Amino acid sequence: MRMLGRTAQNLFWLSRYVERAENMARLLEVGYRMSLTSRREGGASEHLISMLQAAEMDEAFAERHDVADVDTVAYFMMFDPTNPSSVYSCLQAARTNARSVRTAITTDMWESMNGAWLEFSQIKPRDVRGAKLLGLLQWVRQRSHEFRGALLGTILRDDGFAFLQAGNFVERADNTARILDMKYYVLLPRSSLVGGEIDIQQWTLILRAASAHRSYGHVYHDRYKAHNIADFLILRTEMPRSLVYCAHFVRDNLNLLAKLYGRREACHDAMEDMLKLVEGTNMDQIFAHGLHEFLNDFIDRNNRVTDTLSASYNFY
Amino acid sequence: MRISIDHRLSFTPPPGTGQAVFHLLLTPRSGPTQTVESWSVEGPGIGNAGRFTDGFGNAAHLVNQIRPEGEIVFHVRGEVETRDSHGVLGRPAGEAVPALYRRSTELPKVPAAFKGDFANTGGTRLDLLHALMAEVGAALGMPDQAPTQMQADGGQAQTSADEPEERPMPADYAHLFIGAARSLDIPARYVVGYRLADDDEGGLHAWAETFDEGLGWIGFDPHQQLCPTERYVRLAVGLDADTAPTLRAVPAIKDQDLDHRVSLKSVLTSID
Amino acid sequence: MGENTPFDEMYNADGSVREPYRALSEWLAEQPEKGLALMQADAEAIFRKLGITFAVYGSEEGTEKVIPFDVIPRIIAANEWRKLSRGIEQRVKALNAFLYDIYHRQEILKAGRIPEKLILNNAAFCPQMMGLEPARGVYAHIIGVDIVRVGPDEFYVLEDNLRTPSGVSYMLEDREAMMMLAPDLFQRSKVAPVETYPENLRRTLESVAPAGAGRNPVIAVLTPGIYNSAYFEHSFLADQMGAQLCEGQDLFVDGGKVYMRTTTGPERVDVIYRRIDDDYLDPLTFRPDSMLGVPGIFDAYRAGNVTLVNAPGTGIADDKAVYTYVPEIIEFYLGEKALLNNVPTYNCTDVDQRAWVLENIAELVVKEVHGSGGYGMMVGPTSTKAQHEEFKKKIIARPDNYIVQPTLALSTCPTHINNDVAPRHVDLRPYVLVGDEVRITPGGLTRVALKKGSLVVNSSQGGGTKDTWVLED
Repeated sequence: MRMLGRTAQNLFWLSRYVERAENMARLLEVGYRMSLTSRREGGASEHLISMLQAAEMDEAFAERHDVADVDTVAYFMMFDPTNPSSVYSCLQAARTNARSVRTAITTDMWESMNGAWLEFSQIKPRDVRGAKLLGLLQWVRQRSHEFRGALLGTILRDDGFAFLQAGNFVERADNTARILDMKYYVLLPRSSLVGGEIDIQQWTLILRAASAHRSYGHVYHDRYKAHNIADFLILRTEMPRSLVYCAHFVRDNLNLLAKLYGRREACHDAMEDMLKLVEGTNMDQIFAHGLHEFLNDFIDRNNRVTDTLSASYNFY
Repeated sequence: MRISIDHRLSFTPPPGTGQAVFHLLLTPRSGPTQTVESWSVEGPGIGNAGRFTDGFGNAAHLVNQIRPEGEIVFHVRGEVETRDSHGVLGRPAGEAVPALYRRSTELPKVPAAFKGDFANTGGTRLDLLHALMAEVGAALGMPDQAPTQMQADGGQAQTSADEPEERPMPADYAHLFIGAARSLDIPARYVVGYRLADDDEGGLHAWAETFDEGLGWIGFDPHQQLCPTERYVRLAVGLDADTAPTLRAVPAIKDQDLDHRVSLKSVLTSID
Repeated sequence: MGENTPFDEMYNADGSVREPYRALSEWLAEQPEKGLALMQADAEAIFRKLGITFAVYGSEEGTEKVIPFDVIPRIIAANEWRKLSRGIEQRVKALNAFLYDIYHRQEILKAGRIPEKLILNNAAFCPQMMGLEPARGVYAHIIGVDIVRVGPDEFYVLEDNLRTPSGVSYMLEDREAMMMLAPDLFQRSKVAPVETYPENLRRTLESVAPAGAGRNPVIAVLTPGIYNSAYFEHSFLADQMGAQLCEGQDLFVDGGKVYMRTTTGPERVDVIYRRIDDDYLDPLTFRPDSMLGVPGIFDAYRAGNVTLVNAPGTGIADDKAVYTYVPEIIEFYLGEKALLNNVPTYNCTDVDQRAWVLENIAELVVKEVHGSGGYGMMVGPTSTKAQHEEFKKKIIARPDNYIVQPTLALSTCPTHINNDVAPRHVDLRPYVLVGDEVRITPGGLTRVALKKGSLVVNSSQGGGTKDTWVLED
C-alpha cells in the first residue's frame, strides 16, 4: 500500500521532535552545570543566555522573562507550552504525530511515545528543582533512547523507516551545528594563546552538550584542544553526533527511498550538496574558509534537505 | 426566437490558493420552451471536468485548478431556440418530484403581514398566483423603477449598513414570490437564466416557477410582472439562489468579486 | 412491557439457570475467590496496551479514557439470535428502500403514509441527493440497530443508526480480550465468531465500488482526525481492512475524480468509508466553513466516480420523529409486518398526547429529537422532581423537539461489581453491513449500565461494555 504524504511527514517529524526533546534536555543540563560552577558575578546568567542563543530561543525567552536564572530558564525550556521547542511542546508534538500515524508505527514505538508523554504531562513544574531537575533531564534522554530502541528493534525497513531516520538525523545535525556555532570563537586557532581556564570550561560545555566529553579522550588521547574538538564534532565518522556522521545517515536513508520508489528527487541533490561540505575536507580548510561561515552554510544546506524532502514526497 | 448568448465569468482566487474547486451550472437543457442549438463552456480544467446531473436535474460541471494564478475566466457561448408558451413549462422528464419544492429554506423570507393577504383570495390557482405576483411587485417596487439586470447571480439586495439604499434585485422578487407560494403549500422553485430585454439588451436574470397539478410547471417573473416569454432562456433551477448558483467555489468567492459580462442577441435564422 | 421486575437473562423467576447461561454459571462457580477481580485488572491492562481509548468531550487533550469492560459475557441462544437477525435484516432492507424512494419518486409521501412535511422540512433530508443512483441502490451500508430486551421473547428497537454508527471496534476488542482472559470458557461453548467483521466490511465496501473501479478497488477511511472521540476506531478499522486512513487534507478532487496524496504522487480512490458527518463532508456543497471535508467530493460522487459510505442524507431514516413510522415503512415496501417491535412513542405536538405526557412525566423517557449519546435525555423514574419540571417546560416550549416513550424495563445480565456478581441493565447494538448482501455479525456490542438500577448505558454516562456471545446450535 502506498504511503500518504501526510504519513511520511508525521513520521519524519515524530523522530525530529523526539530528537529535539532530547537535545533540549542535554542543552539545559549543560547550562545548569555551568551556572553552578561559574565564579563570576552574573556569570550564571551569561551561560544560560548563551545556551538559549544556541537553541535560538533567547528572544522568545526575553519576551517572557526579565531575569535568566535556573528557575526561569528551566521552566522555559522544559515546561513552557508557549515555547514550541520546550521539552513539553516537543513531546506533545511527537505524540500527536505518532497518534496520527498509529497504524504506521509499531505497538512498541507507540507505547514508548505514549508512555513518555503521559508521564511527562503529569509532572508539576514547581516540583522539579535542583537534583530533581537533573534527574528529569536524564529521564528525558532515556525515554528518547527507549523510543529509538523500539524503532530500531521493531519497525520494517521500508519507506516509513527511512522517513523516521531521516528526521532523526536531520535534527541531530542541526543541533550539533548550532552548538558549535554558539561557541565557534573559542574553537578558532590562536597562535600564541594556550587555552585558559575559561576556554576549558567552554570546551567542556560543547563536548557535554554533544555527550562527547568522555569519548573525546578515547579518540584523541589528549587534553582538550580547540582544533580537536571541532574536528571531533564535524568530521569524525565514528562520532555519532558529528555533522559528517549525521550527513551519512541522511544519505543512506534518502538512498533507501530512491531505491524503494525507483527514482531520485530534488531532495537527493540537496543531500549531495550537504555531503559535499563535510566530505573530502579537513579542519584547516574549514578554518581557512571561516568556521562560522562554514556552520551557517551547513545549517542552510541541511534545511534545504528538509524543504526538498517535503516537496519531493508531498508533505504538507 | 433564436437567442445568441455570450457570457464571461471572471474572478481572481486569493493568492496562495493551493487548490480551487468550482461547481458550475452553466449549461441549459433543452425542454418544452427551449432547444439548445449549440453550447460551449470554456475555461481552465473544463476538458476533464466531472460532468453530472445535480439533485434538481441541472447539468453541472465539477472543475478544479491546482495552484491557480491570476484571473480565472469561464466563457460560455451558445444559441438557444425559444418558444413562447405563456409561461407554461409542463412536466419535463428527469426532474425531481414537484413536492420537493415545498421544502422551506433559509432564503425566501416572507414578512408575516405579506402571507395573510392571500389565504382568502377567491378564484383559481392561476388567479391566485397572478395576484401574488402583483403583490410582490407592489411590495418591492414595480419593474420600471427597478434595475433591469442583475449584477451578479444570486444578487440579493445588500442590506448591510455600508450600502443602505441598495435596490431589490430580481432574485429578491423571486425569493419573496417563492416563499409566499410555499406558505400556501404550492411547490415553487427558483430559476436562473437569461432574459433578452426589448431593446436587444439583456443579461442574467432570476424568476420563479410554481407547480400546478393540471398544467405542470408555470413560470412567473415577479420582477418583470409577467410570465416568461420567448425572450427567456432557462439555465438552472433550485430551491433558492443558494442551491442554483451559476458558479460556486472553494475558496468561496463573494458575489461582488465575481464579474459577469453577458451579451444577448436575437439572431435571424435563414429559412431554406 | 413495563413490568416492574426486569427480565433477568441468566436466572428464571424460580432461581434456576436459563439454558444459554448454563456453561457460564458453572464456570463462574469454579472461579477462585478474587478470580474475577484479577481478570478485571488484566482486562484493563490489555485495553490500555492496545490503546483503546475514547476522548471525552470537553476534557483536556490527552485525558483519554478506557471504556470499562465487564469480564462476564452476555449470552444469546441460537434460536433467539435467528429471530433477532431476521427482524434486523427486514428493517435495514425496508429502510434502504425508504431512502431510495424518498430521494426519487417519494411514493410513500404521495400515498400519505408519512406526513410530507416531516420528511421535506427535516434538517436530515438532503435535497442534493435527489435522483442519485447509488451503487446497488444502497444508501446505508453500515448500520447499528439499538435493541433492548424486556422478556424471554420480547425485543424492542430503540433506534436505528444509519449515519456513521460507532462502537464496532469495541465489539472486536472485547472478543479479543475475552479470548485471552477466559479461553477455558470458550472451550465449553460454541460461540459464533465476530472476527470476520473487518473482512466483511471490506467486501461490502468493494461490492459498492463505482462501475469504473478495477478488480481491487482502492478504499479509504475518512476521519475527522486525531481529536475525534472515535479516532481509535477509525484507525483500527483502516488497519484491520488494510485500507488507507485519510483526513480531509489527504484527499482532493481532480477532473471529477478523487485522489489521495501519497509519497509517490496521486492515487485514485474508489470507495470512501467516511466517518465525517454530512454537514462537514464537502464545503463546496454543504457547510462552506468545514475544514474537515474534501471540496468537490460530493460532486465526484454524483458524477459516479467514487462511492461514499454511508451516502449523505441517510439521517432522514433514523430521525427520531421518522422512527415512529418504521413499522409503516416496512409494510409499505416489503408488504410484511415488522418482526421487531418499535417502542410506542408519544407525539408532543398532538395536544391530547402532550397533556398525557406532562401528567405522567415521572414514568416516561424524554429524548431530544436530534440528541445522541445519552445527552439531552431524561429518564423519568430515575430523575428528580426538578428535572421533571425542567423537561416539562422544554416540551411546552418546543413540543416538536422531543419524543417521549414509556420507560422500558431493560433486561439484566450478571455483571462483575466489586468482586461480586450482580445484575445490571443492558442493551445491544448489532452491526449490519449492506452491500451485495446483508451481513449481520452475530452478537454486537452489549452496553451495560454499571450503576445499580441505572438505565443509561452510554459510555459517556458511566456505561461499560461486554463481550456478546451468540451460541451456535
